[in-house]
Amino acid sequence: MLRASMEAHGWELHLAGIGDPAVDSGVPGGTTLLAFVDVTVGGAGPVDPIRRAVADAFGPAGLVRAAAVAANFEMMNRIADGTGMPVPNSTVRASADVIDALELGHLAVRHGVAVGDGPVDHPRGTR
Amino acid sequence: MPFDHPQLEPVPDIADALRREWRRLAAPGTWWTGPERVAIAAEARKARRATDDPPPVALPLPAREAARVIAGESHATSRTWVGSLMDAGLDHERYVELVGVVARLAAVDRLTTALGLGHEPLPDPEDGEPSRTPAEGTRIGRAWVPMPPGRSIVVALDHVPAETEAMTDLHGALYLTLDQMGDPLIRRELGRPQMELIASRVSLLNQCFY
Repeated sequence: MLRASMEAHGWELHLAGIGDPAVDSGVPGGTTLLAFVDVTVGGAGPVDPIRRAVADAFGPAGLVRAAAVAANFEMMNRIADGTGMPVPNSTVRASADVIDALELGHLAVRHGVAVGDGPVDHPRGTR
Repeated sequence: MPFDHPQLEPVPDIADALRREWRRLAAPGTWWTGPERVAIAAEARKARRATDDPPPVALPLPAREAARVIAGESHATSRTWVGSLMDAGLDHERYVELVGVVARLAAVDRLTTALGLGHEPLPDPEDGEPSRTPAEGTRIGRAWVPMPPGRSIVVALDHVPAETEAMTDLHGALYLTLDQMGDPLIRRELGRPQMELIASRVSLLNQCFY
């Protein structure tokens, strides 16, 4: 949905910016939001300065929403991983460039997902 | 009253949703009692080194392990691991409910810590028996737990329908309702691209391939 929403706004997405905060993703305010996630989810530094930066950029309600969206995906990631939710083949096919740009091939292999022309709709990993 | 923080006031619906979640956590579930659900939450927080609340009741060992792994390293789960929990005495019903409880707790804790509010004390559990309402139309397929046919994450917990309802409620308050999901131009304090960028980065950090 990131790509679709960027296209709907007429903005250009730079996928590498999702994986490398030094690269501008093209999302307005994206650098600040990525730093917020890295600090709050990834523990990458002190929280207060980046919290202030998000509030300055998006307002107090924007700060709450940024934290809420991060929280939601902490939930959804655990549900997907805990239940072994299969990754739809259509998603894998449509996301091949994302998998490549973010160097996610190792995750695909670990989850038994074929990328590109290989077998499709495999169950996730049986480690 | 839980979650009574001025930092949450700019988006009041969120505090309301957190309170609903706390009430759900404390109440008897479908397969676990209220004390057991709160014990699952305590075990999950312990795994994340968040707090060290004493659990109100002792949990079976496979439930403790499941809570720890889902809370702290969910990317390391596998079909084999889930199978080992079943072999150790857990069943799919209790496992799915546990996943839901731990996942929603992770959301609640992330929200409050990200806003500098710390961890809300776990609720006092309620007495009462689980409903033991069986699911209909779920079966083991490619996923590790029984699900209905379908390819969307929204059915992942359908083996315990009350857990799907709880997930949907919190999802709608924190991010988007299911009806809003198809709108790439929707704005809720942040624009959709900004919300999706956050979602992508969180999933990347959590090594969640889905």
